[in-house]
Amino acid sequence: ASDPDAPDLILKGDAKCTSCHDEADDTKPTMLDLRPSILAIGKTKHGVIADGRTPSCTDCHGESESHLNHKGSGNPPKPDRWFAKNTDTPVDARNETCLTCHQGGKHMNWQSSIHANRDVACTSCHKVHTDHDKVRDKRDQTEVCFSCHKEQRVQVNRPSHHPVLEGKVACSSCHDVHNDNPKTLIKSSTNDTCYTCHMEKRGPFVHSHQPVTEDCGICHNPHGTTSPNLLKSRPPFLCQSCHDGLSHHGAAASLPRGPGSGNFQTVARGCLNCHTNIHGSNSTQNSSDGSATGYNQSQSLRR
Amino acid sequence: DDEIDELIKPESTVSIGVGHWSNDRPQQGIYDGMRENESPHLLIDADIVKRDDATGTWLRFETRNLGLDNREFSGEWLRQGNIGIKVDYNRITRESPQTFNTPLQGAGTTNQTVVNSGLATAPRRDLTLGTTREQTGLSFYKNLLPGLEFNVNFKHEEKTGERAWSPGHAVQFVTEPVDSTTRQLEAALSYTTKKWQLRGGYNGSWYKNNNPLVRVGYTGAASNTNPTYLSFPGDNEAHQLFLNGGYNFTPTTRATLKLEYARALQDDYLPTSGVTDWPAAVQAAVGPDKLDGKVDTRLAQFGLTSRPFKNFSLNASLRYHETKDKTPIRTFSTAGQPYNATAPDYVRNSYKTITSKLEGTYRFAEVYSFTAGLEDKRQDRDRPLRVTGAEKDIVVPLRSEVDELTGRLELRRSLSDTANGSVSWLHSKRSGNRYKRALWDHSDDIGLGGLQDVRNLTNPLHMAKRDRDRLRVSVDWSPLEALSLQFSAEEGRDKYHDHSTMVNGLDKGTNRLYTIDAVYTATDALKLNAWYSYDQNKAEQSHYRTHTTGGAGGGFGDPAFKYSDLQDTGNSLGLGLRWEATSRLDIGADLEFFRSVSQYDQDVVPLDAGGVPVFPTTANLSLGAPDIENKLLRLSLFSVYTLDKSSKVRFDFIHERWKTDDWTWQFADGSPFVYGANVNTDGTTVYTKPKQVSNFVAVRYIYSFR
Repeated sequence: ASDPDAPDLILKGDAKCTSCHDEADDTKPTMLDLRPSILAIGKTKHGVIADGRTPSCTDCHGESESHLNHKGSGNPPKPDRWFAKNTDTPVDARNETCLTCHQGGKHMNWQSSIHANRDVACTSCHKVHTDHDKVRDKRDQTEVCFSCHKEQRVQVNRPSHHPVLEGKVACSSCHDVHNDNPKTLIKSSTNDTCYTCHMEKRGPFVHSHQPVTEDCGICHNPHGTTSPNLLKSRPPFLCQSCHDGLSHHGAAASLPRGPGSGNFQTVARGCLNCHTNIHGSNSTQNSSDGSATGYNQSQSLRR
Repeated sequence: DDEIDELIKPESTVSIGVGHWSNDRPQQGIYDGMRENESPHLLIDADIVKRDDATGTWLRFETRNLGLDNREFSGEWLRQGNIGIKVDYNRITRESPQTFNTPLQGAGTTNQTVVNSGLATAPRRDLTLGTTREQTGLSFYKNLLPGLEFNVNFKHEEKTGERAWSPGHAVQFVTEPVDSTTRQLEAALSYTTKKWQLRGGYNGSWYKNNNPLVRVGYTGAASNTNPTYLSFPGDNEAHQLFLNGGYNFTPTTRATLKLEYARALQDDYLPTSGVTDWPAAVQAAVGPDKLDGKVDTRLAQFGLTSRPFKNFSLNASLRYHETKDKTPIRTFSTAGQPYNATAPDYVRNSYKTITSKLEGTYRFAEVYSFTAGLEDKRQDRDRPLRVTGAEKDIVVPLRSEVDELTGRLELRRSLSDTANGSVSWLHSKRSGNRYKRALWDHSDDIGLGGLQDVRNLTNPLHMAKRDRDRLRVSVDWSPLEALSLQFSAEEGRDKYHDHSTMVNGLDKGTNRLYTIDAVYTATDALKLNAWYSYDQNKAEQSHYRTHTTGGAGGGFGDPAFKYSDLQDTGNSLGLGLRWEATSRLDIGADLEFFRSVSQYDQDVVPLDAGGVPVFPTTANLSLGAPDIENKLLRLSLFSVYTLDKSSKVRFDFIHERWKTDDWTWQFADGSPFVYGANVNTDGTTVYTKPKQVSNFVAVRYIYSFR
């Protein structure tokens, strides 16, 4: 049982817990990360008593009378709320613990988020008793996200990818997992999310490309692809998903045997060898080079 | 006390070392700032934290990759619960894995010249293209009153570099000189009580392109000497007001409201408006010198979550999202050209989407939960209009309404010491109204007869009528205390319809993923993990095919039917070991293997057996696109040896093998791709390195302190 006269170690009133869970009982963080260090809460922002908002042990784990009053040598009953992987505390109860303080701000829509409605607990991703919560470190975040999102684990290793594994872009650069936006994005649409880094695509343009204005995800898979530039498939196949088979639009995929064939719809940048401003063109230049009538050159996103 | 301090006080670490790659790795080094192999790389990381417990004041300095091209650092001062400020710098480099050997003059500038005379003797040079983003950020936080917080974040980014580009009318090499500035600002007030939560504020973003356009000229006096002006995106900006609110009616019933209003503007001068040296053959553009672009976005979303009964929870929402393009419809660049139905009038692209969702979860028998959900998404698009107000003709058939109804069922066994599992099934139906037909008075169509309507036979991928099914099964199982297994299998099928009237476009799609993960904790000092994934994505699509050379139809005859069967298949494997060999020595090893195969099967069947062969039969073309196989093997080993209480030494060794037969930058015989419409023009050669093997060794000294 806990010692009522013991001094607090970190948090106000923590003595009832730390009189047993003291330095002798604690584990230092190790590479294997097998057990959480209870006292490591002191290294975190939850462990700053100068901030009057920080909780004590029982604010999160409950008064846990049966746990505190346990006598004898066997394992005591679990606290009222506990958060280990094999916990029997329901997800809602675990999450309500966190939401007591974290319901506002950017967590306002947690309850209607996809994660909340798939029984994901805050502590499924976050580790509270550590000064290194992996999911909040952009270099290590994927370790946490990929434990469920296996398809993305594969895709970020494709030849064309955002610099996620290189630690320059995190899953949370695009996704706000606490929110209820479509695809749990940080903004209310795919395009607005992409514009945060690719603002030049926002336009509008004198000559626009309809799917570009609608949803970048029509042509791109941001998690990674085998086609260059994160395209879902290569030109000309991707372009032919919408465009007709007249003229050169319908060309069969083929590799030129050398320069000068004039058929470059498949190699190099594919269709984009000529339709080079595929996201939108601001050119008003008429054509001077022969075959196509005037405005076609700029209207067909070539310059 | 020292022992307790070690457990409860924040720790600082500084790591300094050197690393060396034995060979250049153009593909794997695109983003990691370690492409060049001339010299050892300086490896500097630090995380320095100081905390004053009496006042709850944190002082933090962090840096990653300080000695590399993609360095980043940040500094933060925070009086927790009161006030804080943070500054950060982040550099993201991207180096193209291709090397361009080119005679192009003025590469990287806004005045470039393609060589189309004297190519054999023109001076050439190697170009490695790439871009750099330099981001600086400033954040400020202040707790104004209990529950009332103010946050402001500002981010400034300079993006510079070069990318491969083209003049548009021919496959010629020019570079896109990237030089732009992006700024983003968010200021928000948050108010939180137990019942009420509000967050509202302003988002602003500004994009400035520092290059207006690129002028491409030619060295020769041949026919192709008129300059081309390549346009850049214009400067743009957007301003958004937002409000997000939540209210807890009871501990189990909650409502939320989101409101957003944004206006995006693009009122930069058009790039070509400053051009004064239009050649006579080109003719200067007429029309406005600005687009006066204006796009408004509105969002209103109402959500309700409730647990009306102990075992039943409900989630409902209604969402209205509108992007309204208010840019004036005006005509651009018609000088000297016949005005017709496809005159280059600005096209407005506006969208309105209403999404309603209802989902319920019932928990039973203590360990099971069953979820059923329905989502209805209705999207309206504007039909393009001309200056006259009449509908503008288009080149791809367009639906002005697309609706998608999705149903979802899931059964979960959620609480168990040793096993959790779920099975879910999703079915969606996408449809829409009648298509607006694509009709374009393209003079090249003359003489095609029935083929003139070919463009209306393609069902665009993002509007096509589609049935989608997704089945997912996942199981977490711990047969032993030391062993945990995770298995998941996903299978998805898409079936596209309307093929009786629109025979072309996507026909079928398949995606599947099978994956297994295992973690085995052999002892308190040894942990092993392994995972394997198999994934496959398939798309089958059909298309008319007409060839552009020869044929009875003046270049567009002899139609054929083309069917493509595209497949991407991946096999991925990971093995890991973490071993605390002694109290001073930690050892780790990871092996990763990724293999992907992309297949591009296509059948082309002539519709007119008597015509000329439908395949490109010129000596310069080889029909078909061979499969592409990419393989990556990476073995990473590290050891950390503890010298004393505050210092460690870490050794790293990485063996990396990358191999590809990607033909993207190759001709049919595997030789490097060469730009130019003929052998006398351009001549830029593109080199890729199909096999890249490199070893990395590094040593670091790590110092920790409090």
